[in-house]
Amino acid sequence: MATILFKGIAARSLTSRLTSSCYYGMRYSTKVSNDPDTHDDFKPANKLENSATSLSDIVEQDVKDNPVMLYMKGVPDFPQCGFSSLAVKVLKQYDVPLSARNILEDPELKNACKSLQFLLFLTENLLQLISSHWPTFPQVFIKGEFIGGSDIVLNMHQTGELKEKLKDIVPKQ
Amino acid sequence: MSFRGTTTLLSRATRIKSKLQSSLEATVLELDDVSYQHAGHAAMKESSEKETHFNLKIVSDKFEGQSLVKRHRMVYDLLSDELQSGLHALSIVAKTPKEITPHAK
Repeated sequence: MATILFKGIAARSLTSRLTSSCYYGMRYSTKVSNDPDTHDDFKPANKLENSATSLSDIVEQDVKDNPVMLYMKGVPDFPQCGFSSLAVKVLKQYDVPLSARNILEDPELKNACKSLQFLLFLTENLLQLISSHWPTFPQVFIKGEFIGGSDIVLNMHQTGELKEKLKDIVPKQ
Repeated sequence: MSFRGTTTLLSRATRIKSKLQSSLEATVLELDDVSYQHAGHAAMKESSEKETHFNLKIVSDKFEGQSLVKRHRMVYDLLSDELQSGLHALSIVAKTPKEITPHAK
């Protein structure tokens, strides 16, 4: 948690430095401060904390709703990274529904990090931090439990552990 | 650590090896730079980093009794500096000495 806060603060100070040194940022910030009717939603305060919370909410909900949940680069039918591709390939051997979010494109994830959209890489870092404290993608969750990356999924497939884990998941229609 | 000051001049591979070796007392430590296989992929296009992808095979007593996730985390934790400075992916095979010797009964 301390790390999340720290990152939040670090990113915010970076944000303010960027906006104050760029023309558009200055123009908009002047407008905002002069407008007493500014809605709460548009106030800059705590945006980072809020986005971090909603990001972890997304992940929490995802892994609760989807027996097999992948956070990957690309989509299952068109992975954009060899490791994501490998994890999908292994999981497709089983007759279970796969749910996935493309961490490079997902609109909800992006929205959760709206205030940071111009620092897109932070989306990735925040997700890594919140979902599983795992530094790389893909990240595979089965029945709400963090399983690991592609090496681990492949290994569990080879040892039969994966079959065991997936056996009580209702097959896809 | 007489060469501490020159650490940044060493290749990433060398740094990874020495970090893993000293903390995990690996009995086998094989590290292959496979960055060339990923040179064109989406995340690498804008990067000037050379050493981004590695295959790692590591055997250590310290993995005894640890799940795969835990073993991978142990490796990732040791390499967090590298992961934040351009190391993009590691493929990890982490075993204990017992697991690699054929079962002698």
